[in-house]
Amino acid sequence: MRALFDLLIKNKHWFLFLLLEVISLVFLFSYNGYQKSVYFTTANDVVGSTYNVISGITSYLHLKEENHALEACNERLRQKVVEMQQRLAAAQLDSVKRIDVLPQEFNLVNAQVVNMTLHKANNLITINKGEADGIQPEMGVVCSRGVVGIVYMTSRHYSIVMPLLNVNSKVSCRLRKSEYFGSLIWKRGHADISYATSIPRHAKVQKKDIVETNGFSDIFPPGIPIGYVQGIDDSSDGMSYLLRVKLFANFATLREVSVITNYQSPERHFLEEQAENPAKQDSVLNAQEKQKTLEEEKRKAEEQEKAAKEKEEKEKEELEKIKTELERQHAEAVAAQSANKNTENTDTVR
Amino acid sequence: MSPIFLQRLFRLFVLLVFQVLIFNQVHLLGYITPLVIGYMMVCFHRGTSRVDILLWGFIIGLIYDVFSNTAGMASASCTLIAMIQPSLLKIFTPRDAAENFTPTFQTLGFWSYVLYVLILMAVLHGTFYLLDAFTLVNWQLTLLSIAGGSVLSTLLIIFIELFVRPRK
Repeated sequence: MRALFDLLIKNKHWFLFLLLEVISLVFLFSYNGYQKSVYFTTANDVVGSTYNVISGITSYLHLKEENHALEACNERLRQKVVEMQQRLAAAQLDSVKRIDVLPQEFNLVNAQVVNMTLHKANNLITINKGEADGIQPEMGVVCSRGVVGIVYMTSRHYSIVMPLLNVNSKVSCRLRKSEYFGSLIWKRGHADISYATSIPRHAKVQKKDIVETNGFSDIFPPGIPIGYVQGIDDSSDGMSYLLRVKLFANFATLREVSVITNYQSPERHFLEEQAENPAKQDSVLNAQEKQKTLEEEKRKAEEQEKAAKEKEEKEKEELEKIKTELERQHAEAVAAQSANKNTENTDTVR
Repeated sequence: MSPIFLQRLFRLFVLLVFQVLIFNQVHLLGYITPLVIGYMMVCFHRGTSRVDILLWGFIIGLIYDVFSNTAGMASASCTLIAMIQPSLLKIFTPRDAAENFTPTFQTLGFWSYVLYVLILMAVLHGTFYLLDAFTLVNWQLTLLSIAGGSVLSTLLIIFIELFVRPRK
Protein backbone atom coordinates (compact mmCIF):
# COMPACT_ATOMS: atom_id res chain seq x y z
CA MET A 1 0.00 0.00 0.00
CA ARG A 2 2.78 2.31 1.01
CA ALA A 3 4.63 1.44 -2.14
CA LEU A 4 1.57 2.37 -4.09
CA PHE A 5 1.32 5.72 -2.37
CA ASP A 6 5.02 6.27 -3.02
CA LEU A 7 4.46 5.49 -6.66
CA LEU A 8 1.54 7.88 -6.81
CA ILE A 9 3.47 10.68 -5.12
CA LYS A 10 6.49 10.08 -7.27
CA ASN A 11 4.46 10.34 -10.42
CA LYS A 12 2.13 13.05 -9.25
CA HIS A 13 3.22 15.33 -12.06
CA TRP A 14 1.91 12.78 -14.56
CA PHE A 15 -1.50 12.76 -12.95
CA LEU A 16 -1.49 16.54 -12.77
CA PHE A 17 -0.49 16.67 -16.40
CA LEU A 18 -3.30 14.36 -17.41
CA LEU A 19 -5.77 16.31 -15.28
CA LEU A 20 -4.76 19.63 -16.78
CA GLU A 21 -4.86 18.26 -20.29
CA VAL A 22 -8.28 16.81 -19.68
CA ILE A 23 -9.49 20.16 -18.35
CA SER A 24 -8.03 21.87 -21.42
CA LEU A 25 -9.73 19.44 -23.74
CA VAL A 26 -13.00 19.84 -21.89
CA PHE A 27 -12.71 23.57 -22.47
CA LEU A 28 -11.75 22.95 -26.05
CA PHE A 29 -14.75 20.78 -26.79
CA SER A 30 -17.18 22.78 -24.69
CA TYR A 31 -16.50 26.23 -26.04
CA ASN A 32 -15.45 25.63 -29.63
CA GLY A 33 -18.38 24.70 -31.85
CA TYR A 34 -16.24 23.36 -34.64
CA GLN A 35 -14.05 21.10 -32.52
CA LYS A 36 -17.13 20.00 -30.64
CA SER A 37 -18.93 18.95 -33.78
CA VAL A 38 -15.87 17.18 -35.14
CA TYR A 39 -15.36 15.49 -31.78
CA PHE A 40 -18.93 14.30 -31.58
CA THR A 41 -19.03 13.13 -35.16
CA THR A 42 -15.79 11.23 -34.75
CA ALA A 43 -16.85 9.92 -31.37
CA ASN A 44 -20.12 8.74 -32.80
CA ASP A 45 -18.30 7.05 -35.64
CA VAL A 46 -15.92 5.39 -33.25
CA VAL A 47 -18.67 4.35 -30.87
CA GLY A 48 -20.79 3.16 -33.76
CA SER A 49 -18.09 1.04 -35.29
CA THR A 50 -17.17 -0.30 -31.87
CA TYR A 51 -20.74 -1.32 -31.24
CA ASN A 52 -20.80 -2.84 -34.69
CA VAL A 53 -17.79 -5.00 -33.90
CA ILE A 54 -19.22 -5.93 -30.51
CA SER A 55 -22.62 -6.82 -31.91
CA GLY A 56 -20.93 -8.78 -34.68
CA ILE A 57 -19.26 -10.87 -32.03
CA THR A 58 -22.15 -11.16 -29.61
CA SER A 59 -24.64 -12.03 -32.34
CA TYR A 60 -22.97 -15.42 -32.59
CA LEU A 61 -23.64 -16.01 -28.93
CA HIS A 62 -27.38 -15.62 -29.45
CA LEU A 63 -27.57 -17.77 -32.56
CA LYS A 64 -29.18 -20.65 -30.74
CA GLU A 65 -32.07 -18.60 -29.37
CA GLU A 66 -32.38 -16.89 -32.70
CA ASN A 67 -32.64 -20.23 -34.45
CA HIS A 68 -35.31 -21.39 -32.09
CA ALA A 69 -37.28 -18.23 -32.63
CA LEU A 70 -36.91 -18.52 -36.39
CA GLU A 71 -37.99 -22.11 -36.32
CA ALA A 72 -41.08 -21.22 -34.32
CA CYS A 73 -41.76 -18.40 -36.73
CA ASN A 74 -41.33 -20.75 -39.69
CA GLU A 75 -43.72 -23.21 -38.15
CA ARG A 76 -46.28 -20.49 -37.65
CA LEU A 77 -45.89 -19.28 -41.19
CA ARG A 78 -46.13 -22.78 -42.58
CA GLN A 79 -49.39 -23.28 -40.75
CA LYS A 80 -50.60 -19.99 -42.08
CA VAL A 81 -49.67 -21.01 -45.63
CA VAL A 82 -51.67 -24.21 -45.28
CA GLU A 83 -54.58 -22.27 -43.86
CA MET A 84 -54.37 -19.72 -46.65
CA GLN A 85 -54.19 -22.42 -49.28
CA GLN A 86 -57.32 -23.98 -47.87
CA ARG A 87 -59.04 -20.64 -47.86
CA LEU A 88 -57.91 -19.93 -51.38
CA ALA A 89 -59.18 -23.29 -52.55
CA ALA A 90 -62.50 -22.60 -50.85
CA ALA A 91 -62.65 -19.18 -52.47
CA GLN A 92 -61.94 -20.59 -55.89
CA LEU A 93 -64.89 -22.91 -55.63
CA ASP A 94 -66.94 -19.79 -55.90
CA SER A 95 -67.59 -19.72 -59.60
CA VAL A 96 -68.58 -16.05 -59.67
CA LYS A 97 -65.04 -14.91 -59.25
CA ARG A 98 -63.90 -16.85 -62.25
CA ILE A 99 -66.56 -15.76 -64.70
CA ASP A 100 -64.74 -12.78 -66.01
CA VAL A 101 -66.58 -12.77 -69.33
CA LEU A 102 -69.74 -11.66 -67.57
CA PRO A 103 -70.22 -7.96 -67.03
CA GLN A 104 -70.63 -6.83 -63.47
CA GLU A 105 -74.26 -5.88 -63.69
CA PHE A 106 -75.57 -9.43 -63.81
CA ASN A 107 -76.81 -10.93 -60.62
CA LEU A 108 -75.54 -14.42 -60.22
CA VAL A 109 -76.95 -16.99 -57.87
CA ASN A 110 -74.40 -19.62 -57.06
CA ALA A 111 -75.64 -23.14 -56.87
CA GLN A 112 -74.25 -26.61 -56.60
CA VAL A 113 -75.07 -29.50 -58.82
CA VAL A 114 -76.75 -32.17 -56.75
CA ASN A 115 -77.73 -34.59 -59.45
CA MET A 116 -77.13 -35.02 -63.14
CA THR A 117 -77.22 -37.51 -65.96
CA LEU A 118 -74.90 -37.49 -68.93
CA HIS A 119 -75.76 -40.41 -71.14
CA LYS A 120 -79.47 -40.19 -71.71
CA ALA A 121 -81.12 -38.37 -74.57
CA ASN A 122 -82.73 -35.95 -72.15
CA ASN A 123 -80.05 -35.24 -69.66
CA LEU A 124 -81.04 -33.00 -66.79
CA ILE A 125 -79.14 -31.36 -63.98
CA THR A 126 -80.55 -30.70 -60.56
CA ILE A 127 -79.18 -27.74 -58.65
CA ASN A 128 -79.77 -26.82 -55.04
CA LYS A 129 -81.28 -23.38 -55.53
CA GLY A 130 -84.85 -22.66 -56.45
CA GLU A 131 -87.59 -20.05 -56.44
CA ALA A 132 -86.67 -19.03 -52.93
CA ASP A 133 -83.38 -17.79 -54.33
CA GLY A 134 -84.99 -15.93 -57.20
CA ILE A 135 -84.58 -18.59 -59.85
CA GLN A 136 -87.24 -18.84 -62.52
CA PRO A 137 -87.56 -21.10 -65.53
CA GLU A 138 -85.65 -20.05 -68.64
CA MET A 139 -82.83 -18.43 -66.80
CA GLY A 140 -79.32 -19.05 -68.09
CA VAL A 141 -76.93 -21.25 -66.18
CA VAL A 142 -73.19 -20.80 -66.56
CA CYS A 143 -70.10 -22.18 -64.93
CA SER A 144 -66.63 -20.74 -64.73
CA ARG A 145 -65.69 -22.11 -68.14
CA GLY A 146 -68.81 -21.25 -70.05
CA VAL A 147 -72.45 -21.98 -70.70
CA VAL A 148 -74.06 -24.93 -68.91
CA GLY A 149 -77.71 -24.80 -69.84
CA ILE A 150 -81.10 -23.28 -69.13
CA VAL A 151 -83.34 -23.59 -66.09
CA TYR A 152 -86.23 -25.83 -67.04
CA MET A 153 -88.33 -26.24 -63.94
CA THR A 154 -88.14 -24.83 -60.48
CA SER A 155 -89.40 -25.81 -57.07
CA ARG A 156 -88.99 -23.89 -53.87
CA HIS A 157 -85.40 -24.92 -53.21
CA TYR A 158 -84.34 -26.89 -56.26
CA SER A 159 -84.23 -26.34 -59.96
CA ILE A 160 -83.93 -28.61 -62.92
CA VAL A 161 -81.55 -27.37 -65.56
CA MET A 162 -81.67 -28.50 -69.14
CA PRO A 163 -78.00 -28.64 -70.03
CA LEU A 164 -76.54 -28.24 -73.47
CA LEU A 165 -76.35 -32.02 -73.39
CA ASN A 166 -80.01 -32.51 -74.12
CA VAL A 167 -81.53 -33.28 -77.47
CA ASN A 168 -84.21 -30.68 -76.84
CA SER A 169 -81.73 -27.98 -75.99
CA LYS A 170 -81.27 -25.27 -78.54
CA VAL A 171 -79.13 -22.28 -77.79
CA SER A 172 -78.42 -19.54 -80.28
CA CYS A 173 -74.73 -19.03 -80.74
CA ARG A 174 -72.23 -17.23 -82.91
CA LEU A 175 -68.63 -17.45 -83.97
CA ARG A 176 -66.60 -15.00 -81.99
CA LYS A 177 -64.37 -13.95 -84.88
CA SER A 178 -66.81 -13.57 -87.73
CA GLU A 179 -70.04 -13.16 -85.75
CA TYR A 180 -71.98 -15.53 -88.01
CA PHE A 181 -74.69 -17.02 -85.90
CA GLY A 182 -76.42 -20.33 -85.72
CA SER A 183 -77.91 -22.54 -83.10
CA LEU A 184 -76.36 -25.14 -80.94
CA ILE A 185 -77.91 -28.57 -80.65
CA TRP A 186 -76.82 -31.80 -79.15
CA LYS A 187 -76.85 -35.30 -80.55
CA ARG A 188 -76.66 -38.25 -78.29
CA GLY A 189 -73.23 -39.61 -77.78
CA HIS A 190 -70.36 -37.56 -76.52
CA ALA A 191 -70.82 -35.64 -73.36
CA ASP A 192 -68.49 -32.86 -74.48
CA ILE A 193 -69.49 -32.29 -78.09
CA SER A 194 -72.35 -30.20 -79.45
CA TYR A 195 -73.16 -29.14 -82.98
CA ALA A 196 -73.68 -25.68 -84.31
CA THR A 197 -76.16 -25.68 -87.16
CA SER A 198 -77.36 -23.04 -89.60
CA ILE A 199 -73.97 -21.46 -90.01
CA PRO A 200 -74.16 -20.11 -93.59
CA ARG A 201 -71.92 -21.59 -96.23
CA HIS A 202 -70.19 -18.36 -96.96
CA ALA A 203 -69.05 -17.95 -93.37
CA LYS A 204 -65.33 -18.28 -92.90
CA VAL A 205 -64.87 -20.93 -90.30
CA GLN A 206 -61.63 -22.22 -88.95
CA LYS A 207 -60.89 -24.88 -86.45
CA LYS A 208 -60.37 -23.58 -82.92
CA ASP A 209 -62.72 -20.66 -83.55
CA ILE A 210 -64.54 -19.86 -80.38
CA VAL A 211 -68.28 -20.29 -80.26
CA GLU A 212 -70.13 -18.00 -77.84
CA THR A 213 -73.65 -16.89 -77.02
CA ASN A 214 -75.00 -14.24 -79.34
CA GLY A 215 -77.50 -12.52 -77.09
CA PHE A 216 -80.49 -13.09 -79.35
CA SER A 217 -82.30 -14.94 -76.66
CA ASP A 218 -83.16 -13.29 -73.42
CA ILE A 219 -81.48 -16.09 -71.57
CA PHE A 220 -77.81 -15.43 -72.00
CA PRO A 221 -76.05 -12.11 -72.47
CA PRO A 222 -73.87 -12.06 -75.58
CA GLY A 223 -70.27 -13.20 -75.45
CA ILE A 224 -70.31 -16.05 -72.97
CA PRO A 225 -68.05 -18.76 -74.32
CA ILE A 226 -69.60 -22.10 -75.17
CA GLY A 227 -66.85 -24.06 -76.86
CA TYR A 228 -64.55 -24.11 -79.84
CA VAL A 229 -64.86 -25.51 -83.34
CA GLN A 230 -63.37 -28.95 -83.52
CA GLY A 231 -64.56 -30.07 -86.90
CA ILE A 232 -66.32 -28.57 -89.93
CA ASP A 233 -68.94 -30.60 -91.76
CA ASP A 234 -71.78 -29.92 -94.09
CA SER A 235 -75.32 -30.16 -92.90
CA SER A 236 -77.51 -32.86 -94.35
CA ASP A 237 -79.29 -30.46 -96.71
CA GLY A 238 -75.99 -29.03 -97.83
CA MET A 239 -77.15 -25.45 -97.25
CA SER A 240 -75.11 -24.71 -94.20
CA TYR A 241 -72.24 -25.85 -92.11
CA LEU A 242 -72.54 -28.27 -89.27
CA LEU A 243 -69.79 -27.44 -86.83
CA ARG A 244 -68.60 -29.90 -84.27
CA VAL A 245 -68.16 -27.83 -81.12
CA LYS A 246 -66.05 -29.03 -78.26
CA LEU A 247 -67.74 -27.61 -75.16
CA PHE A 248 -65.72 -25.65 -72.62
CA ALA A 249 -67.86 -26.74 -69.69
CA ASN A 250 -66.75 -30.07 -68.37
CA PHE A 251 -70.03 -31.70 -67.46
CA ALA A 252 -68.41 -34.78 -66.03
CA THR A 253 -66.88 -32.78 -63.20
CA LEU A 254 -69.39 -29.97 -62.95
CA ARG A 255 -70.04 -28.94 -59.35
CA GLU A 256 -70.45 -25.21 -59.13
CA VAL A 257 -72.76 -23.29 -61.41
CA SER A 258 -74.23 -19.81 -61.42
CA VAL A 259 -77.69 -18.78 -62.54
CA ILE A 260 -78.06 -15.40 -64.23
CA THR A 261 -81.18 -14.00 -62.57
CA ASN A 262 -81.59 -10.51 -63.92
CA TYR A 263 -81.05 -10.77 -67.63
CA GLN A 264 -84.56 -11.72 -68.55
CA SER A 265 -86.73 -8.86 -69.64
CA PRO A 266 -90.40 -9.62 -68.85
CA GLU A 267 -91.62 -7.13 -71.42
CA ARG A 268 -89.65 -8.72 -74.20
CA HIS A 269 -90.64 -12.10 -73.00
CA PHE A 270 -94.28 -11.18 -73.05
CA LEU A 271 -94.01 -9.64 -76.48
CA GLU A 272 -92.27 -12.63 -77.95
CA GLU A 273 -94.71 -14.96 -76.38
CA GLN A 274 -97.56 -12.99 -77.85
CA ALA A 275 -95.98 -12.98 -81.26
CA GLU A 276 -95.05 -16.61 -81.29
CA ASN A 277 -98.07 -18.19 -79.72
CA PRO A 278 -101.15 -17.96 -81.96
CA ALA A 279 -102.92 -20.55 -79.83
CA LYS A 280 -103.73 -17.89 -77.33
CA GLN A 281 -105.52 -15.90 -80.01
CA ASP A 282 -104.20 -12.76 -78.54
CA SER A 283 -102.42 -10.46 -80.87
CA VAL A 284 -100.21 -7.72 -79.64
CA LEU A 285 -102.87 -5.34 -80.84
CA ASN A 286 -105.49 -7.16 -78.86
CA ALA A 287 -103.28 -7.01 -75.88
CA GLN A 288 -102.91 -3.32 -76.32
CA GLU A 289 -106.62 -2.90 -76.74
CA LYS A 290 -107.19 -5.03 -73.76
CA GLN A 291 -104.86 -2.91 -71.83
CA LYS A 292 -106.70 0.18 -73.05
CA THR A 293 -110.05 -1.15 -72.00
CA LEU A 294 -108.55 -2.19 -68.74
CA GLU A 295 -107.25 1.29 -68.20
CA GLU A 296 -110.61 2.72 -69.13
CA GLU A 297 -112.32 0.45 -66.71
CA LYS A 298 -109.93 1.43 -64.12
CA ARG A 299 -110.56 5.08 -64.86
CA LYS A 300 -114.31 4.51 -64.69
CA ALA A 301 -114.02 2.70 -61.44
CA GLU A 302 -111.97 5.53 -60.10
CA GLU A 303 -114.56 8.05 -61.23
CA GLN A 304 -117.29 6.03 -59.67
CA GLU A 305 -115.41 5.86 -56.50
CA LYS A 306 -114.89 9.58 -56.60
CA ALA A 307 -118.58 10.21 -57.21
CA ALA A 308 -119.51 7.91 -54.40
CA LYS A 309 -117.16 9.74 -52.14
CA GLU A 310 -118.60 13.09 -53.10
CA LYS A 311 -122.09 11.79 -52.59
CA GLU A 312 -121.21 10.51 -49.23
CA GLU A 313 -119.76 13.84 -48.28
CA LYS A 314 -122.83 15.67 -49.49
CA GLU A 315 -125.04 13.38 -47.47
CA LYS A 316 -122.91 13.97 -44.50
CA GLU A 317 -123.18 17.70 -44.96
CA GLU A 318 -126.93 17.53 -45.32
CA LEU A 319 -127.17 15.37 -42.29
CA GLU A 320 -125.21 17.93 -40.39
CA LYS A 321 -127.43 20.71 -41.66
CA ILE A 322 -130.57 18.87 -40.63
CA LYS A 323 -129.06 18.19 -37.31
CA THR A 324 -128.27 21.84 -36.65
CA GLU A 325 -131.72 22.82 -37.91
CA LEU A 326 -133.34 20.36 -35.56
CA GLU A 327 -131.29 21.62 -32.68
CA ARG A 328 -132.29 25.18 -33.49
CA GLN A 329 -135.96 24.23 -33.72
CA HIS A 330 -135.69 22.36 -30.51
CA ALA A 331 -134.14 25.33 -28.75
CA GLU A 332 -136.81 27.62 -30.15
CA ALA A 333 -139.50 25.25 -29.03
CA VAL A 334 -138.02 25.14 -25.55
CA ALA A 335 -137.84 28.93 -25.44
CA ALA A 336 -141.43 29.23 -26.67
CA GLN A 337 -142.59 26.75 -24.12
CA SER A 338 -140.99 28.60 -21.25
CA ALA A 339 -142.46 31.86 -22.54
CA ASN A 340 -145.87 30.24 -22.65
CA LYS A 341 -145.43 29.05 -19.13
CA ASN A 342 -144.61 32.54 -17.98
CA THR A 343 -147.67 33.94 -19.64
CA GLU A 344 -149.70 31.17 -18.13
CA ASN A 345 -148.28 32.04 -14.74
CA THR A 346 -149.07 35.63 -15.18
CA ASP A 347 -152.46 34.63 -16.26
CA THR A 348 -153.05 32.68 -13.11
CA VAL A 349 -151.74 35.52 -11.02
CA ARG A 350 -154.06 37.73 -12.78
CA MET B 1 5.67 35.35 -1.73
CA SER B 2 9.15 34.36 -2.70
CA PRO B 3 10.97 36.67 -5.06
CA ILE B 4 11.14 33.89 -7.63
CA PHE B 5 7.36 33.61 -7.58
CA LEU B 6 6.97 37.35 -8.03
CA GLN B 7 9.44 37.27 -10.87
CA ARG B 8 7.44 34.51 -12.56
CA LEU B 9 4.19 36.41 -11.99
CA PHE B 10 5.72 39.52 -13.53
CA ARG B 11 7.02 37.54 -16.48
CA LEU B 12 3.60 35.97 -16.97
CA PHE B 13 1.91 39.33 -16.94
CA VAL B 14 4.35 40.95 -19.36
CA LEU B 15 4.30 38.00 -21.75
CA LEU B 16 0.49 37.92 -21.78
CA VAL B 17 0.24 41.65 -22.41
CA PHE B 18 2.66 41.48 -25.32
CA GLN B 19 1.16 38.33 -26.69
CA VAL B 20 -2.44 39.47 -26.58
CA LEU B 21 -1.93 43.08 -27.57
CA ILE B 22 0.85 42.76 -30.14
CA PHE B 23 1.73 39.27 -31.31
CA ASN B 24 -1.86 38.14 -31.70
CA GLN B 25 -2.27 40.86 -34.34
CA VAL B 26 0.64 39.47 -36.34
CA HIS B 27 -0.49 37.26 -39.21
CA LEU B 28 2.60 36.83 -41.30
CA LEU B 29 1.67 35.54 -44.78
CA GLY B 30 -1.87 35.43 -43.44
CA TYR B 31 -1.30 32.40 -41.23
CA ILE B 32 1.82 32.70 -39.09
CA THR B 33 1.18 33.95 -35.56
CA PRO B 34 3.94 33.58 -32.94
CA LEU B 35 3.13 32.32 -29.45
CA VAL B 36 5.74 33.93 -27.25
CA ILE B 37 3.92 32.82 -24.10
CA GLY B 38 6.00 29.66 -24.57
CA TYR B 39 8.93 31.66 -23.27
CA MET B 40 7.40 31.20 -19.81
CA MET B 41 8.25 27.49 -19.91
CA VAL B 42 11.60 28.01 -21.55
CA CYS B 43 12.91 29.94 -18.57
CA PHE B 44 12.33 27.42 -15.77
CA HIS B 45 15.65 26.50 -14.20
CA ARG B 46 16.79 23.00 -13.57
CA GLY B 47 15.30 21.37 -10.46
CA THR B 48 12.06 23.33 -10.54
CA SER B 49 9.17 21.20 -9.31
CA ARG B 50 7.38 19.65 -12.28
CA VAL B 51 4.08 20.38 -10.59
CA ASP B 52 5.03 24.09 -10.50
CA ILE B 53 5.94 24.13 -14.15
CA LEU B 54 2.71 22.33 -15.10
CA LEU B 55 0.55 24.74 -13.10
CA TRP B 56 2.33 27.80 -14.49
CA GLY B 57 2.02 26.48 -18.01
CA PHE B 58 -1.65 25.64 -17.59
CA ILE B 59 -2.44 29.03 -16.07
CA ILE B 60 -0.67 31.09 -18.72
CA GLY B 61 -2.32 29.02 -21.42
CA LEU B 62 -5.71 29.39 -19.79
CA ILE B 63 -5.40 33.17 -19.44
CA TYR B 64 -4.22 33.44 -23.02
CA ASP B 65 -7.24 31.36 -24.10
CA VAL B 66 -9.59 33.64 -22.24
CA PHE B 67 -8.19 36.70 -24.02
CA SER B 68 -7.90 35.26 -27.48
CA ASN B 69 -11.05 33.12 -27.54
CA THR B 70 -9.25 29.84 -28.15
CA ALA B 71 -10.70 27.90 -25.20
CA GLY B 72 -8.52 24.93 -24.28
CA MET B 73 -6.05 25.13 -27.15
CA ALA B 74 -3.24 27.16 -25.57
CA SER B 75 -3.74 25.63 -22.12
CA ALA B 76 -3.40 22.13 -23.57
CA SER B 77 -0.30 23.09 -25.60
CA CYS B 78 1.39 24.97 -22.76
CA THR B 79 0.70 22.12 -20.33
CA LEU B 80 2.29 19.74 -22.81
CA ILE B 81 5.52 21.74 -23.18
CA ALA B 82 5.56 22.28 -19.42
CA MET B 83 5.54 18.50 -19.15
CA ILE B 84 8.42 17.91 -21.55
CA GLN B 85 10.54 20.93 -20.59
CA PRO B 86 12.42 19.33 -17.66
CA SER B 87 13.24 16.20 -19.67
CA LEU B 88 14.34 18.25 -22.64
CA LEU B 89 16.46 20.48 -20.48
CA LYS B 90 18.10 17.39 -19.01
CA ILE B 91 19.21 16.35 -22.50
CA PHE B 92 20.77 19.73 -23.21
CA THR B 93 22.32 20.16 -19.79
CA PRO B 94 26.14 20.19 -19.90
CA ARG B 95 27.84 17.74 -17.60
CA ASP B 96 29.41 20.40 -15.44
CA ALA B 97 26.31 22.52 -15.06
CA ALA B 98 25.15 23.80 -11.72
CA GLU B 99 22.32 22.11 -9.83
CA ASN B 100 19.88 24.96 -10.46
CA PHE B 101 21.15 26.48 -13.67
CA THR B 102 18.84 28.45 -15.91
CA PRO B 103 18.84 27.75 -19.64
CA THR B 104 20.46 30.73 -21.41
CA PHE B 105 22.94 31.32 -24.21
CA GLN B 106 25.68 31.40 -21.67
CA THR B 107 24.82 28.16 -19.90
CA LEU B 108 23.80 26.07 -22.90
CA GLY B 109 25.71 27.56 -25.76
CA PHE B 110 24.09 29.47 -28.62
CA TRP B 111 23.10 26.62 -30.94
CA SER B 112 22.06 24.28 -28.18
CA TYR B 113 19.87 26.99 -26.74
CA VAL B 114 18.35 27.76 -30.15
CA LEU B 115 17.65 24.07 -30.71
CA TYR B 116 16.18 23.73 -27.22
CA VAL B 117 13.87 26.68 -27.77
CA LEU B 118 12.99 25.56 -31.30
CA ILE B 119 11.93 22.09 -30.13
CA LEU B 120 9.74 23.52 -27.38
CA MET B 121 8.22 26.04 -29.77
CA ALA B 122 7.61 23.35 -32.40
CA VAL B 123 5.75 21.22 -29.87
CA LEU B 124 3.80 24.25 -28.63
CA HIS B 125 2.79 25.46 -32.09
CA GLY B 126 2.22 21.94 -33.35
CA THR B 127 -0.22 21.15 -30.58
CA PHE B 128 -1.87 24.56 -30.76
CA TYR B 129 -2.45 24.62 -34.50
CA LEU B 130 -3.46 20.99 -34.71
CA LEU B 131 -6.07 21.55 -32.03
CA ASP B 132 -7.10 24.70 -33.83
CA ALA B 133 -7.48 23.05 -37.21
CA PHE B 134 -8.65 19.72 -35.76
CA THR B 135 -8.39 18.16 -39.18
CA LEU B 136 -5.68 17.16 -41.61
CA VAL B 137 -7.62 18.29 -44.65
CA ASN B 138 -5.61 21.49 -45.14
CA TRP B 139 -2.44 20.01 -43.75
CA GLN B 140 -0.18 22.24 -45.88
CA LEU B 141 -1.60 25.36 -44.25
CA THR B 142 -1.41 23.80 -40.80
CA LEU B 143 2.18 22.81 -41.41
CA LEU B 144 3.00 26.30 -42.64
CA SER B 145 1.46 27.81 -39.51
CA ILE B 146 3.33 25.40 -37.25
CA ALA B 147 6.72 25.81 -38.91
CA GLY B 148 6.43 29.57 -39.41
CA GLY B 149 5.12 30.16 -35.90
CA SER B 150 7.84 28.03 -34.35
CA VAL B 151 10.62 29.80 -36.22
CA LEU B 152 9.17 33.26 -35.61
CA SER B 153 8.64 32.57 -31.91
CA THR B 154 12.17 31.20 -31.59
CA LEU B 155 13.54 34.34 -33.23
CA LEU B 156 11.50 36.52 -30.90
CA ILE B 157 12.67 34.57 -27.85
CA ILE B 158 16.27 34.90 -28.98
CA PHE B 159 15.67 38.60 -29.39
CA ILE B 160 14.21 38.83 -25.87
CA GLU B 161 17.02 36.73 -24.50
CA LEU B 162 19.69 38.87 -26.16
CA PHE B 163 18.33 42.34 -25.65
CA VAL B 164 15.51 42.46 -23.13
CA ARG B 165 16.32 40.06 -20.33
CA PRO B 166 18.31 41.68 -17.54
CA ARG B 167 21.80 40.26 -17.32
CA LYS B 168 23.05 39.12 -14.01
